[in-house]
Amino acid sequence: MSAGGVSGPVAAALSGTPDLGAKYEAFRDAAHEALGAQLVAHVRHAVAEVHGVASTAPHGEAPAATIAYARRMPFEHTAITDEEAAAVVAEIGEVRFVALSVVAALADAECRAGMVDLEALVDGA
Amino acid sequence: MSTNPRVSSAIEGESPHFASVLAHQPAIAERFGALYGAFWDSDVLSARLKEVARMRNARITQCGFCRNVRFDKAVAQGLGEEVVAEIDEGYEASARLSDTEKAILKFTDAIIHDPELLTGADRAALQKHLSPDQIAELGLGVTLFLALAKALITMGLEPERMERSVLPTPSRAMAG
Repeated sequence: MSAGGVSGPVAAALSGTPDLGAKYEAFRDAAHEALGAQLVAHVRHAVAEVHGVASTAPHGEAPAATIAYARRMPFEHTAITDEEAAAVVAEIGEVRFVALSVVAALADAECRAGMVDLEALVDGA
Repeated sequence: MSTNPRVSSAIEGESPHFASVLAHQPAIAERFGALYGAFWDSDVLSARLKEVARMRNARITQCGFCRNVRFDKAVAQGLGEEVVAEIDEGYEASARLSDTEKAILKFTDAIIHDPELLTGADRAALQKHLSPDQIAELGLGVTLFLALAKALITMGLEPERMERSVLPTPSRAMAG
């Protein structure tokens, strides 16, 4: 089970192929655990907001440069500067920056899969 | 887009590249390897069809690394350069791409570019050409291709120059 009990549209679409579904959730969980549940919630919310997807705002504060980086992922990933990335590394460290990049990119891809209603496509709807 | 690595290599003696940077997070690396290997090992959706979606993603996300890599299993299934060249603007009129491949490209564009691109007719075409398990596998593939390309680019791991390379297709055996 994923952090927060929400597996997302890709895992849901894989319910008929349990081996791949379990491996996808294990990968996603590893990325979320490496970043930490609180920051994952902020990052996923930031990405969802950019996509205009309904998302409940998490409690608490999040590091500003880190959230700004996550917000660039959906439509401006090639425009992130070295300086912006360095500010994130200064906030959360190099090792968590790696996890952040994976988590934000996955959040973006999952929003997009949800927006085409991948699960309904698989269900024949 | 920066080609300056924004993360150091976690493997002594190696320059920063996707695997050496991901080694900072061994659990992520291990589970990604297991997933990506199982995905490419599965023949529910052929390697050729997966590679069609991966090539489209590479072009839209501007991932130079992804764009220059070919996986050998897809090449063996007939995905030559003359076909790859047509996974571009105007692919709808291609004589080399099958109707199934065009339906896959529409779906890929909708996820990566704009969900509005996937009309009711496009959804029906995808469901006509692919089984539910194939659509699920395609959805997983596009998700991973997109996330991988964006993570690679945002970590500054794009190569300055890269020759086109045919690489062994990822597999469970390679993941260890």
